[in-house]
Amino acid sequence: MNRTKWIILALGTVLIAGVLIMLGSPGDDGGGLVDNARMRELLEDGVHLVDVRTAAEFEAGHIPGAELVPLNVFEAAAANWDPSEPIALYCATGSRSAEAAALLRGLGFETVYDLGAGIVQWDGEIVGGTAVAAAPTPVATGGPVMYEFYTDW
Amino acid sequence: MVDRLTDEYEGVVEIRAMNVENDAEAARLAADFRVQYVPTFVFVGADGATVETLVGAVDEEDLRDALDAIK
Repeated sequence: MNRTKWIILALGTVLIAGVLIMLGSPGDDGGGLVDNARMRELLEDGVHLVDVRTAAEFEAGHIPGAELVPLNVFEAAAANWDPSEPIALYCATGSRSAEAAALLRGLGFETVYDLGAGIVQWDGEIVGGTAVAAAPTPVATGGPVMYEFYTDW
Repeated sequence: MVDRLTDEYEGVVEIRAMNVENDAEAARLAADFRVQYVPTFVFVGADGATVETLVGAVDEEDLRDALDAIK
């Protein structure tokens, strides 16, 4: 009876440890979508961070340490990267980085992280830019205007 | 969605689509508005003051509310 108890206890401990390990390191197997908290951990670990937006967006503000590689030159740049090196991607809202992540996986990259909600939802440090609503500049117009700023990407 | 609103608000609110990647004027204007992400929607009243800025994937109802606020 005592022996059975010990076996159950040992199995339970192994099971719980396994669950904790899985919870503690989400995305280690091939990367995947990550949230802000996980991205901060990856940045602390020195992950290769790539911003796939345009140069204008990058200059307006980006996550510290990010390398600018817009989508239109992404595949060419990726040819120079080590497929075994973990890489983390982001864009504005997650659509372009998802495209880039799929491209990298297709090229055989083993660990690709993607900041799912994009820099729009990033709550960490941003360098090189000013917040969108910081100081809107009045613009002389003949009447009310809605501007839609976009890119083809 | 924006095309539909452009037709609907014709003569009331001018809707300008600005490609910041290949249009120098769009890029300059985006800098003036401190646009940091795309898509960004900026709503400017008749007096030239920015009334609202919406960033990212916005739904039609939010756009309508902002358009109605400046018309």
